[in-house]
Amino acid sequence: MGRYRKPVQYIILAVVLLIGGYAIGNSLFSKSVVLTKGDKPPGFRLADLNNEVHDMSDYEGKPLIINFWGTFCPPCRNEMPALQHQYDKWKGQGLELIGINLSEDKLTAESFIRQVGVNFPILLDKDKKTERKYGLKQYPTTFFIAPTGEIQEVVIGGVLTEEEIDKRIERLIQTKS
Amino acid sequence: MKWWLDFSSDAFIVAFFLYCASFISYAIAVGGKKWSNRKPAEHAARWGKIAFVLAAIGWLAHLTFFFTRWYGGGHIPTSNMYEFMTFLGMAIMFAFIVIYAIYRNMMLGAFTLPLVIIIIAYASVFPSEVQPLIPPLQSIWLKIHVTMAAAGEAFFAIGFAAALVQLIRVVDFTRTDKAGRRAQFWTEFSLYVIIVLVGFIVAVFAFRGAGYEAKFTQETVTIDDAGNALTSVGEVKYTLPPLVAPYNSETESFQSFMGIKKPLVEAPSWMNGVNAGRKLNTVVWSIIAGSLLYGLLRLIARKKLTAAINPHLSDIDPDDLEEISYRAIAIGFPVFTLGALIFAMIWAEIAWSRFWGWDPKEVWALITWLFYSAYLHLRLSRGWQGTRSAWLAVIGFLVVMFTLVGVNLVIAGLHSYAGV
Amino acid sequence: MFQNTKCECGHQNPVGTVLCESCGKPLDEALLKDENALLEMRYDGVARRSQKANPHFVDRIWNFFSSVKIAVYLIVITLIGAAFGTILQQESTIINLTERSEFASYYKEQHGTFGVIYHALGLSRTYESWWFIGLLVMIGTSLVVCSLDRVLPLYRALSKQQVRKHLQFINRQHVVYSGELTQNKQEWLDRFAKELKRKRYRVWREDGALLAEKNRFSRWGPYINHIGLIVFLLAVLGRSIPAWHMDQYLTLYEGETRQIPGTNYYLKNDKFTIDYYSDEELASNQKGTKVVKLYETKARLYECTDVCDDPTREPVLTEVKQHDIRVNSALAYKGLKVYQNSFQEKVRFISVHPTLKDKVSGTDIGSFDLKMNQPAEEYKLGEYALRLIDYYPDFGLDEQTRPMTKSRDPNNPAFVFRIAGPGIQDQGEVYVYFAMPSEKSKYYETILNESFKQRGDNSGRFSIQVDNPIVDGQMNNIEYSAFTTYLNIRMDRAMPYVWVGAAISMIGLIMGFYWQHRRIWLRIDGDKLALGGHTNKNTYGLRADVAGALGKTGIAVDPKTLDNRRNVR
Repeated sequence: MGRYRKPVQYIILAVVLLIGGYAIGNSLFSKSVVLTKGDKPPGFRLADLNNEVHDMSDYEGKPLIINFWGTFCPPCRNEMPALQHQYDKWKGQGLELIGINLSEDKLTAESFIRQVGVNFPILLDKDKKTERKYGLKQYPTTFFIAPTGEIQEVVIGGVLTEEEIDKRIERLIQTKS
Repeated sequence: MKWWLDFSSDAFIVAFFLYCASFISYAIAVGGKKWSNRKPAEHAARWGKIAFVLAAIGWLAHLTFFFTRWYGGGHIPTSNMYEFMTFLGMAIMFAFIVIYAIYRNMMLGAFTLPLVIIIIAYASVFPSEVQPLIPPLQSIWLKIHVTMAAAGEAFFAIGFAAALVQLIRVVDFTRTDKAGRRAQFWTEFSLYVIIVLVGFIVAVFAFRGAGYEAKFTQETVTIDDAGNALTSVGEVKYTLPPLVAPYNSETESFQSFMGIKKPLVEAPSWMNGVNAGRKLNTVVWSIIAGSLLYGLLRLIARKKLTAAINPHLSDIDPDDLEEISYRAIAIGFPVFTLGALIFAMIWAEIAWSRFWGWDPKEVWALITWLFYSAYLHLRLSRGWQGTRSAWLAVIGFLVVMFTLVGVNLVIAGLHSYAGV
Repeated sequence: MFQNTKCECGHQNPVGTVLCESCGKPLDEALLKDENALLEMRYDGVARRSQKANPHFVDRIWNFFSSVKIAVYLIVITLIGAAFGTILQQESTIINLTERSEFASYYKEQHGTFGVIYHALGLSRTYESWWFIGLLVMIGTSLVVCSLDRVLPLYRALSKQQVRKHLQFINRQHVVYSGELTQNKQEWLDRFAKELKRKRYRVWREDGALLAEKNRFSRWGPYINHIGLIVFLLAVLGRSIPAWHMDQYLTLYEGETRQIPGTNYYLKNDKFTIDYYSDEELASNQKGTKVVKLYETKARLYECTDVCDDPTREPVLTEVKQHDIRVNSALAYKGLKVYQNSFQEKVRFISVHPTLKDKVSGTDIGSFDLKMNQPAEEYKLGEYALRLIDYYPDFGLDEQTRPMTKSRDPNNPAFVFRIAGPGIQDQGEVYVYFAMPSEKSKYYETILNESFKQRGDNSGRFSIQVDNPIVDGQMNNIEYSAFTTYLNIRMDRAMPYVWVGAAISMIGLIMGFYWQHRRIWLRIDGDKLALGGHTNKNTYGLRADVAGALGKTGIAVDPKTLDNRRNVR
């Protein structure tokens, strides 16, 4: 028995250190659902207004803006023309812009989009699934995702002006993948 | 059904008076040993027997109360404070009978019965009507969890009673050094606390009997989710003359009491719990009534109460008491673990979807458990046996009572429906 | 410090031994000094496993956790810490806040300066804090180390006990008897052994010495309890493994089906019912108030069997379970549990059944079902066709007075139809229809249809309306949900282990507390009889055993006189 005393002690203390470290570590670094700069955006698979499926992975390696919006949200509505303008300006340089509608009826989203004249892809979230994955708290929320696949900036709420969007896209494009 | 409930409350009153009679007999057994022309041992044995028989019959009446109320009310009577406290009293009597069957120690009855009497009198302060069960309580676990937990706590109560006798027995009134005086003070203080509790019950029943009532309207400001301050006006009813008014309140009606026509002070603003002002007022009244009662007893005894009781205990062996106290706790500990923690977890898992949620009541049950675990571990070492472990048993029961009553009155939380 | 650990009987004991492992003679200096003191019988006086002459660094850590004193300190600190956490509400119980700053202001508003301090100290998250978890980890460690250090030596000591013990060992037990034996030595011993056997003792004899023992297994109770607690704590920790644990809330109105996020399951609320106690059933202080008797969600659980990941098509669902979910009765399916959490009384339209009327001829053209959720875009009514061209679930106007929806919920649904058919201009006629049978909605409807008419979009010939929408306060031709139910969905793969741990722990407690290990040593030297008895709990019972056996064999003793404590004092 005595022969094994030392190894047994070491093993038990090591296991304790491991498990205890995990437990305490868990309490120290509790994960938050809110996405911030540097995070990888969660994946999604959604249909657009033409019933075509878009996958997050389709946009890998490209500068990407994801705008969550709804027709019930006045700032979202007011932001749309500016987004469309900037899309027109930058799409030649590889910018991708998608608007994810906040789980409204297709008809409701479609008729607003038609009115405003938006031509970037509008994806329809269902049951607030994607919205939850992205941990949204306020609308609109816009994610600026660099070609590296990392979130460069999250703009929560408010109406973005064209200049503000412009500035951010420039930074996105400059980030090398 | 109504008939059964009426019969049930009659049985309860019978049980209460039998317990009182039993207590008086115990007092005669202990106090009358040195009366002239009788043999002390014979006297004690005879009255001890009478007292025990009275207590046992009282318990049968208590059981009758319990089961007829169960039948008449349609659900096990452990669902509100009145029912729980009366059940706890019954459980303590059960634990007492078990321990008495093992040790045949008469002194135990002399201290358990007043405890039971106080607890069921305290129960009567709460509304005694049968209330229908709200959905969370409609479960078989109401029977299992509550009864088991109370049974465990009942054994802790016996441990407390034995420990208190032991403490009074070993106090050395000849000592004048610091430690000796401290022991004298704290033992006396324990009795004082018990008398304050009696004072509370006396005050409530005296004023209830006199039909006293005062009303206040209180303005409370709450902040809603959107951050708006909402002012709501509520009515606070006092059944004890308000010495302390609720914070931020107006007197609506006030029966004058001994020339006092308005509250003396207002509760401080930080006491913002539900009915905090009224609770504070009740505490103040309990202390006043308890102190008066204590003063009266001191006048009669003309010495410290512990000093008055102490000589009557001289022929019991403190080691026996210690053993009884320890044994009662040792019997109660697994029962408590099962009833108050494991069954509680099972029920919480069934009703609230999680077995543990750090609700104040849960936490205090855990604290009670940890406290008695510490007690059991400390007793392994010689240095903590004797007076020190007796003090632990006394404090342990305070923790139990706080868990049962204090949490409901002060903290609330999910178990708040067990409150007043 | 040098300590001679070799006993006079020739046995070599490890460092830290209190009583010789072989003959039981006291070795500890304190015990040697006071010849009358009772023996310290903890763990039978054997050395703890880790006691060593020259502790190493790792040994020191080990010894720290091996100490019962430290264990008691840990317990006491934990209970005080836990008590602090109950002073104010914990953050986890405040449901609608999530951000740290929100909590900070909540405590400030609710509890003033004290609240600010409480929150700043982290006490508002006591039970998730690193120090509280750390304490639990340390208690767990202490459970392992303490038990291991004691149970192994104790096991060895109890499995090779000497029958003949040192006289000092016998005479310094809690329960003792010594006297002259006037009867025949062998015969008396036979009878005494028989008496003890009748009391279920196991008896060993060795010329003129006797050892009787019962309920040794109860000595393992505390260790089994500790093993149970360790399993319990590990299982609780296991709940933090993400794949083992799920906890989310689902809000469902009546008739709604929704996917349980992160799973392949869908849940449908068929109906929500609530029942209140009648006034007769209530106590007098409750009369006139609404006390809930029962509320339940009639639910169906579906599993997606095909087209589960195609956003363009509807998934194929197969019903797997049906259950009336109540507070004490959750829906359970393959480790997934759905609990009734709460509910809200809230009217929500599901569908209406309006009729298209021709106001000119006064005829009903036809009626149709109109859903509030994903309404169909085409309706065929006789020769007429209705095309839904716009839908606002919660009608309102934006800053530029364009129609918009104020929310995603059908609080005031407005539908814009284009009607085509015989006798209608080529581009059709446009009508708006408000589903709510309220005055305000109908007012909007009239105004808007009037303005369409002025623009030339319609002729005012048609109207869409529900027949007799309200009869005796009941809504007619309108399907709605009266309640929204809140369900809590849980998965806890670690729960079985939690219960196993609790069960083991309970078994250990019962073993340890409801049975007592009792031992009696006896030796006869000449005609002098010496008896010593030891038990870890309940010396009262042991004294009764000894006195009973002695009495039956002709030595009458009062159980009380066997108590050695009295003699010592």
